[in-house]
Amino acid sequence: MKDAKAMAYVNMYGVLGTLENLCAMDADAQDVLEHLKKPVSLCFHVKDGPCCTFHFTKSGCRMTEGEQGCTCKMTFSSPEKFNALIDNSKPGLPTKHPAQVLSFLLGPFTALTNRLTELLRPGEEQLRDPAFFEESTLLTMYTIAGAISALANHDPISRISAGNTVDGQVQLGIAGKLAVTICVKDHRFTTVKAPCDSPRAIMEFASVQLAHDLFAGQASTINELCKGAIRLRGMISMVDNINRILDRVAVYLG
Amino acid sequence: MSKYPEYDHSKSRAWFDRALNVIPSGIYGHLGPSEGLFLPLEKWPLISSKAKGTYFWDMDGNRYLDFMCAYGPNVLGYGDADVDRAAMEQLMAGNCTTAPSYKMVECAELLTDTVACADWAFFMKNGTDATTFGVLTARAATGKKKTIFLKGYYHGNQPWAMKADYPGILPEEVANNIIVPWFDLDALEQAYLENGGDIAALIAQPYDHGNFADNRCATKEYWAAVRKFCTKHGIVLIIDDVRAGFRLDLAGSDHYYGFEADIICFCKALANGYNMSAACGKEFLRPAASSLSYTGSYWMSAEPFAACIACLNKMKALDTPALFRRLGEQLTAGLRDAGKTHGFDLVVSGEPALFYLRIANDDSLMLHQEWVAACVSRGLFLTSHHNHFLNAAVTQEDIALAVDIADDAFSVVAQAHPELDFTV
Repeated sequence: MKDAKAMAYVNMYGVLGTLENLCAMDADAQDVLEHLKKPVSLCFHVKDGPCCTFHFTKSGCRMTEGEQGCTCKMTFSSPEKFNALIDNSKPGLPTKHPAQVLSFLLGPFTALTNRLTELLRPGEEQLRDPAFFEESTLLTMYTIAGAISALANHDPISRISAGNTVDGQVQLGIAGKLAVTICVKDHRFTTVKAPCDSPRAIMEFASVQLAHDLFAGQASTINELCKGAIRLRGMISMVDNINRILDRVAVYLG
Repeated sequence: MSKYPEYDHSKSRAWFDRALNVIPSGIYGHLGPSEGLFLPLEKWPLISSKAKGTYFWDMDGNRYLDFMCAYGPNVLGYGDADVDRAAMEQLMAGNCTTAPSYKMVECAELLTDTVACADWAFFMKNGTDATTFGVLTARAATGKKKTIFLKGYYHGNQPWAMKADYPGILPEEVANNIIVPWFDLDALEQAYLENGGDIAALIAQPYDHGNFADNRCATKEYWAAVRKFCTKHGIVLIIDDVRAGFRLDLAGSDHYYGFEADIICFCKALANGYNMSAACGKEFLRPAASSLSYTGSYWMSAEPFAACIACLNKMKALDTPALFRRLGEQLTAGLRDAGKTHGFDLVVSGEPALFYLRIANDDSLMLHQEWVAACVSRGLFLTSHHNHFLNAAVTQEDIALAVDIADDAFSVVAQAHPELDFTV
């Protein structure tokens, strides 16, 4: 039920894309960046799949599409090979400045991705810490937001939902904490990790706890909607379709 | 200052919370909040205590002038005396019996006399049962496997009628579905060619009365061309009249649009709330219909047949399609004018008997949802992205009350948005 190419986009835009937010929010990640000797722009190029560059500086991480500005590059011969990097930490083939790639990969990058994994796949004990709980949940929301667009554009089942989604911007959020925007144009989805000025539809979870329970599969979206803990407004057909894609996100990231 | 104070829903909400404890989603499906029709939730009654005529009451004792009519079944008015009397008499005489009641035969005879394309009738319980029967019959009759649907379709909730991205649906279950746009005859021919002619049926509602978009009425010319296409290629033409049936034309919505379906499916307005559905078909499909393994424990219960007979006869006596058109045109004109007074562009679409509303001042439906919520919480039950329904109990006083509440709700929404320019 999972498509390898779609999984590669989820891993790139959803999982690795969350490095941007990790570096902005997390003290441990910021400490790793603080020790960077110089900026590094690492490109992941996946044949027949995504290609993105992650620009790391002392002040944070920024992801851009394509390889422009990369200082080192890692190439993967297939989506499956790239997915193995995420799933099993099996590295690809360094094709530009291999020494720098290996040094960065084995050092700061591994530290950052380990921290990201810790936050995205937390243990029960860690979640008892309220600060960790909140950070973990917010980062998960960013990962899911990236995965929504990745799947809408590349997963065969989600493409059906995307094909039925009208143009506009859908704002997804956790009340008082964060909001992200899913932009839809001609059935292509783009995730913007910020609120928008004029959403055509809004879906907002009442609390971080609820968001966590939904993401962890411990609560039902429909049930919470019926209870009034999920607020909807606007073009509900857009939210309906995004909810169907969210079901697919659970398949890919679950 | 609002003329109609907002209702308190605390008791209804308490009952809904009890429902949530023991029923997934509390109220699942189209009558509950899960489909995003009740926004915001606290403005809606959710649970009712009683109903009569064109009104129902919630658990707090609030009264609602109801233009959703239980999403269609209430066609003569809740608790219609004639229908209820016939049903109760039959209930006392016998309902779910080993040998089906003669009422089933009478009901089938009345349906075949009433529905223009009907040579026979087959009974079941829900609209989904009827549309599923239609597709199974078409496959059995033609030996072909694919079905053409028109975009935005809804033909019930069996797997064959759903989409691959719906929870629990396998791609294989919808692999034989072909979707073409409404009103695109070239797309029909193209679909036929692309699928090597392996098409058993075309199933469609009589016009495009989908959700989230202005409804689009069909023309006789369109349906004549679709009829010709199906006849030419040996495709069974199934009209899903579950929603619109008997509200446009007692002889069937195909008759209203000037053509004959091969199979037509009815449910909602068939028996004024008593639980039954029916499919009627042409003679050439009788052998295929007979061949199906298709039945249910309560499908031949007599009480709904008695209700159906009384309902059909009363709809004929009242000429309800003409009544609904008049009432629909009058009501929607009043609503539109009330909106205009406050600077709202209320777009009315679809057939007047099943009118669809949309405030067009923004493209997000947010203003529309606010207005609908303001209406509902003041006693006028409308919905935000589904067509509405009329029933024969609606009076001139009800129309006047509806327009007055709507007018009040428009003023409430206008006052809540000083940032918007509602200059008339």
